[in-house]
Order: sequence, then structure tokens, then C-alpha cells
Amino acid sequence: MKDRIQVKDLVVRYGEAIAVNGVSFDVGRGEHLTLLGPSGCGKTTTLRAIAGLEQPTSGRIAIEGRPVYDSRTGVNVSAETRGVSMVFQSYAVWPHMTVFDNVAYGLRVRKQSAADIKANVERALDLVQMRPLADRAASKLSGGQQQRVALARAIAFSPTVVLFDEPLSNLDAKLRAEMRVELRELQRRLDITSVYVTHDQEEALAISDRVIVMNVGVIEQIGTPEEIYNRPRNRFVADFVGSANLLKGQATGPGFFKTADGTMLRTIGGGAGSEVAVRTAYIDLVPPGMDATSGDNRLKGTVRQRMFHGDFVQYLVECPCGRLIVRRPPTNLLDEGTEVTLSFSPEHTVLLQG
Amino acid sequence: MTDAVAGAAVRSRFPWQGAITLAAVLAVAFLVLLPLVFLVEESLNVGDPMAFPPQEFGIANYFAMFDEDINVLWNTLIIALMATVMAVLIGFTLAWILTRTNVPGRALLERLMELPYYMTPLVGALAWAVIAGPKSGFVNQLWKLGGGHGDLVDVYSHLGIAWVMALFEGTVAFVMIAASMKSMDPALEESARVMGASKLRTTLTITLPMVMPGVLGATLFVFAEMLGSFAAALVIGIPARIYVITTAIWDSTLSYPPDYGRASAMGLALFIVMFGMLTFYRRVIGRGSFATITGKAFRPRAMDMGGLVWLLFGVCCLYIFLAVVLPIGALLFTSLQRFATVILSQAQFTLANYQTAFGLGPVRQALVNSLTLGFGVASVGVMVMALLVWTIYRSQLTGRGAIEYLVMFPQAVPRLVFGLALLWAWLNIPIPIYGTLWLLALAYFTVMLPLGVRTLAGVVLQIDKSLEECARVCGASWLYQMRTVTLPLLRPGILAAWLLIFMACVRELGTSVFLMGPNAKVIAPSIVAAFASSGTELTAAMALIQTGTVVLALVILFRLTRGATKELT
Repeated sequence: MKDRIQVKDLVVRYGEAIAVNGVSFDVGRGEHLTLLGPSGCGKTTTLRAIAGLEQPTSGRIAIEGRPVYDSRTGVNVSAETRGVSMVFQSYAVWPHMTVFDNVAYGLRVRKQSAADIKANVERALDLVQMRPLADRAASKLSGGQQQRVALARAIAFSPTVVLFDEPLSNLDAKLRAEMRVELRELQRRLDITSVYVTHDQEEALAISDRVIVMNVGVIEQIGTPEEIYNRPRNRFVADFVGSANLLKGQATGPGFFKTADGTMLRTIGGGAGSEVAVRTAYIDLVPPGMDATSGDNRLKGTVRQRMFHGDFVQYLVECPCGRLIVRRPPTNLLDEGTEVTLSFSPEHTVLLQG
Repeated sequence: MTDAVAGAAVRSRFPWQGAITLAAVLAVAFLVLLPLVFLVEESLNVGDPMAFPPQEFGIANYFAMFDEDINVLWNTLIIALMATVMAVLIGFTLAWILTRTNVPGRALLERLMELPYYMTPLVGALAWAVIAGPKSGFVNQLWKLGGGHGDLVDVYSHLGIAWVMALFEGTVAFVMIAASMKSMDPALEESARVMGASKLRTTLTITLPMVMPGVLGATLFVFAEMLGSFAAALVIGIPARIYVITTAIWDSTLSYPPDYGRASAMGLALFIVMFGMLTFYRRVIGRGSFATITGKAFRPRAMDMGGLVWLLFGVCCLYIFLAVVLPIGALLFTSLQRFATVILSQAQFTLANYQTAFGLGPVRQALVNSLTLGFGVASVGVMVMALLVWTIYRSQLTGRGAIEYLVMFPQAVPRLVFGLALLWAWLNIPIPIYGTLWLLALAYFTVMLPLGVRTLAGVVLQIDKSLEECARVCGASWLYQMRTVTLPLLRPGILAAWLLIFMACVRELGTSVFLMGPNAKVIAPSIVAAFASSGTELTAAMALIQTGTVVLALVILFRLTRGATKELT
């Protein structure tokens, strides 16, 4: 399988500031890759460099095997000839055109016949359920409708690569969740390759085949959503994606870790390290008189605070090795002050790198 | 191999963007910079003033100013100072009334404050000459009718010139001071009140110190403008034999032989002083302590003035009366009479002056020329300016900052000095357009650059950048993107800029007086000439025709901008 997009040693500078500092990754055919990170981590700059909207300082970008930017040979293909498509954070729906004209734009640029344009626009509008509004002025659309038009416009000319720059960040929470489902469905139905940029970790995990976690212009980890969540490589990933407890101490041998207060934990991940991460959702709270799952790591603790969040309950548990946050389903509530045993599998006790 | 193919694919497209931008920038650089180079060279010419290139260089022309023309400098300083003091006092009072008190009809009054500016100082000066001229001025006629002796008022004086300048060119003081009062966060005053300070104490310790920088900035700015003011000094000053630097420049090009060296030296000196003051002003504004001037507008809490409110309302109305109603009324009254008089029993009403204005060959031709120039320069100019604005604020072009500086530069040069520079340059450039409308068109385009660019920049900066980027990603070339996305989105701004440039062309005086040829007359200098040679009655008719044209364009502008803002929101 040939890679659709190859990015190699990409560097983007703005004067003194370095936005992207040596980023390399490949995106396979039909793959949905997400660049995830806090604002200013270089994810949008990377995406715009692929689109040809940002001039990199050095590195190499190839689309469908064709170099579109290469600092050594001086190739720099302009945005309009790269053949990729893009959905912008602000939607960028042209207010002076109708919905139809917006979606037809890329087709008209490609000089398709009027009949083809009509057919393709209608197909694209059907996919986002906007066909009844085809003749409406784009300036009279709601945010969610603009989002759909932007999406239809991006896929109307059947591009093989679509880039998404935080397309859902301007929608309210409920609409965002709906669009997430639709987007995933659309990706499956159309055979497109996509690169998606977001700072919302939940969104990244939900819609991607693979996630790249970025921070201050470099890649922290590449992996499937499950890998990123279950096996964070370092402190940044453990902290940024999901919620995790970080325990300080020292790795004492392959699979063993001694916390600062002397408790021995079994872990996965070998090598040296001074921190382990335990996801808040993977810790079981065992009330006195009940047995914990055998083979698990165990800690004694006292419930200090209980916060009811609706979908889950968050406990703050005081342990000899520090305060741990535990999230449980909102059943069998434990009172503040209860003595409990914390139990979690060595599988979920991840030794973090340096 | 693939690299070579990709590279070739890119190179095969003709770089329209580069070619068009380069052409526009070169043309603008030629138009803006070359005249000034000629002017500097001529100011150093101490040999035969008509020789080009000069045979002897020296700085005698500059020294001559402090020797022969010392009273001109003195007049300039006194009149500019008087005008500035009046303009700032008027501006401060009106700004305070309209932003900080509950005077009725504030929104409408604020709109009306712009009118004197659109009336132009030329029309204002003519009107006040009719109102307050010695002997035949309306006020003095009434004074004598009432049994008074001599003249009650005389506009042909230092104070008279300053008065007209303050009324018709001082509007900027109001705009700037009102802006600084509006941009003050009302919470700053409210917190003083909450801490127990009285109204007066709050005004003295919080409001005034906060507004003061804005007032000082406005004072500096207005003073610089007044130094370069021309129209009032031309219409009123020359008959009164009160010369200021601008009229002295104009006068030395009329002498025989014309003393271009002396004129150039004075012009450059004026430019340097004004440029220095405006640079200083910008420096000071740029500092943090002047933060009240920039930033977003708040709606300050209006003070309840009780019964005093009608007095304040009266003050606003008095200003509108003195700067708009009275001048226009006086001109209208004059233009409808055979011999202007305010004594109704002697008045002979007639439309003959308008018949003459429209029927007299040179006058009609001047009017037609001005309108043609307005249409042409606005139509062609606005497209070039749109391209320049896009290049400056949107493209990745290196050196776009320098282009911005270049196009905004004519703003720093007094109109009149630019006219002089263009005159000297085109007398000597071997392209025979001197004395034709073509030169006037080029000159108008050059001096209107800052106006057009500023208007368009406001609109370009409002357009979300991704609207254009999206077109590129969809596969559109630069030309296609400009045509289908950028220009349609710019349309409201382009219309506004077109009308502003059109108006500015129709009323243009400073460069026109130098560049007008016997076969290429335009309206504003013709009005001045008519005032000097024919009667006030015909002049008044001409001035009103010009004002009417500008007002018509203004009405269309307001209609359009209101429609456009509705469309965008």
C-alpha cells in the first residue's frame, strides 16, 4: 500500500519562533489521521503546510507520491495545484454566493460540464442533508448549516485527500457530538484519506484510525486511539489525553516500580523511569470487607471528597503515596471518610519515559 | 524525475500575480517619489531658477526664507496657532456634549458635525467673505443699516482667516477628541464614584487626566494641518495681503520669472515641519500611556444635565448654524441676486448667475472636466488601489511594508507642495502631458492614494483570510480567486472608496492650481479665479453647484454604506 501523504522532517519558522520543529509521518490510503495537541503546538501549521497555505522552512512533503514541497530541490507546488481539499475552522463559506454556488466552486474551477456540476453538487449536498437549501444565500445559514456546506464543498470535486482544520470547534457541544458521528460515517462511505486537526482529545479518539499527539512543534506519540489512551508514552500524553494519576518513584526492574513512599507496584513497560500513570477510570474502589481482584496492584486509602458529575462520580482518595483521583459509575456511592482499597491491574499501570 | 515534472507544472502557469503587482508598484513608486526628487533638486538650485537640471547648487533658498519671508513665517505661525486654539476649543466642547451628556438627538447631531468638512474650506471661505467682508459683507450692511459706523467685523484679517480654517478644517479635532472620550471604559469613572468621589472630583481626577492625551494629540495634529492649510488663506488672505507659507509658495510661482527654487525650498520646509510633527504625534500615540485613543469603543454613561441640556443643545445648533446653515444660506442668497445685498428692498432676484455658470464656456468646461476626472480617476484608481491593498495586507510578498509606506506617503506631503513638485517634475519630464487633463488625472490618483487605500484596507481586513485560502485549496488560480471571491466581497468597500475619491476629485484645489492648463481647467481653481475677477454673485453660484455635486455623492454614499452594512451582518 502506497502512502497518500508523506511528511518528512518538516520545519516551519516565523522569524525567530519555530512553529513546527522536525515532524515526520505518513498517512496511508483511506486512513483517518488526527493531529492532536494544545493550541500553539504546531498542528494547524503542519496541516496548512500540507495544503500549501504555509511556506515551510525545510523538509519534504509528498502527496500521492508527488513531491509538493522539498527544500532541497526547491519544489514548492502552489495550493491550487496540489489537488487536496480542506475544511476550515471558520467554515469559510462565501457569503456572497448561494449554497449551490459554494459547493459548485471546485467543480467550476475544474471546468466540468453544467450537467456534471449539478449532479455532483446534489450528490454532495445529499450526503450532508442540505439539498433542500441549495438555493439559499450562504449568509442566511446557521453555524451548523454552514459547517455542512463547507463539508459538502470540500468533498464535491471528489478529492482523494481532505484536510480538516478544527472543523467542529465552533459548534455547540450537542451539535458537535452529532457531527462527529456523521463525519465518521462520511469518512467510511467515501474512499478518502483525511488529516484532521483538533485540540479536543475526545474528538480525536472518537473519529481517528491513528492519532498524533503534538506539543511545542514536535511529535510526542503516534498510535491508534487505544494505544494513545492505554499506553501513553510520556507524562505529556498521559496528562493531555484523558485523565490520569501520575505517581512518582523509581523503576526497580522490568515490570516493577517503587513509589516514593515505598509501595511496590507491578507495571507494564520496561526500562528506566520515575513516574507511572494510572487512568482515573481504571481504578476500582473496594469498600472494607470486600475482596479486590487477585493479581491487581493495591493501595490503602481514605475517601476525602466526592463530586457527583452525572455520568460519573469523581472521588479524591488520600493514599500514602499521594492523592489519587478515581472516576466510577454513579452507582454504589461511597461516603466521604470511608476507608477503601484501591485496586488496578498492572496492565493499566504504565511506566512513563523520562 | 517527478520533481522536475512537478516543477515544470508550476512554472508553466503565467505568474499573473507577480506581473500585475510589479507593474502597479513600479507605477506608484514613479508617481509618488519622482516629483519629490525633482522638488528637492530644485530647492537647492541657486542659479537660473528655470534651468533644468540646475547649474549651481546651494542652500541659499532656505536661508532666504528667514530673511525676505520672515513675516510670512510669522503670519503662518500666528494664524495656525489661533486656528488650532479655536478648533480644539470647539472640538472639545462639542465632543464632550455629544459623548458625555444626555443632550437630545445626539446621534443626528454627531452626523451633522461631519458636514463642515464636506463643505470644504474653499466654499466656507467664500461664504464668510460674503457674510463678514468689510463694507459689503452682510453683517456690516446690517450694522450700517442699524446706524453703526465703520465695520463691525472684518474677515480679511489674521483672526478671520483662522476662524474660517478652524470652522472648516478643524472638524478633525472633534473627531479625535470624541474618539478618545468614547474609548474610555466607564468602569474607571464608576469605580471612582463607588469609592465616594463626587461628580466634580471624578471629572477632575479621572476623566480629564484620561482624556488629556487625546486632546494634546488632537492639538498637535490640527496644528500641523493648519500650517499646510491653503484654501482660506488663498481666498481671504491674498486680497487682504496677508501671506502665509502656502500662499507665498503659490505666489512665487506666479511672479515673472517664476521663482521655483524659492517655492520648492518653502514647500520642503513646510513638508519637513509637518512630517516631523505628525511623526512625533504617531510616536506619542503609539506609547501605552495613550491607550485611551485606540482600542474598542465603549458607550460611556451620559451625565444627566437637567435643564442645562437645552443650553448645550443650543451650543451644538449654533455651531451647525455658523459652519453650515449661515454659509450655505449666504451663498444661496448671494447667488440669486444681481448685486448681493442683505437689504431686501434693494434686492433684485434673478437666476442669471446660474445661467451664466452653466452657459459660460470656460465655467461649464471646468465643471465637465472636474466630473470627467472624478469619474475616471475614481474608476481606474479604485481598482489599482484594491490590488495594492490586497498586496499589502494579504499577500506574502516581501517588502509589502515598504509598499504600504509608499502609498501612504502622499498623505504626509501638503497637497500644495505635492502640486508644486508635480508641476516642476512634469515641466521637465519629456512626456508632453503638462497642461492636459492627463496630468491632472495622474496627480489626482497620486494624492488620493492614501484616502482610497485607507478606505479599502478597512474592508480587506474584515474579510476572513480563509475565505480566500479556501478558493485556492479548491483549485482556483490567483486571478480566478480575485475575480470570484476577493473582489465580490470587497464590493461595498470599493463603492465607498469610489465615491470618496470622486468627491475629493471634484473639490480638489491644492494640486489643481498648479497643474491646470489653459485648455484643462477644473472647477475649484476656477471658483477662486472667478472670485478674484468676476463678482461674488457668480462665484457663489459656482460654489453651490460644486457643493451640490459633492452632497449628492455623499447622500449616495450614506445610502450605499447603510445597505452594505446591513447585507454583511
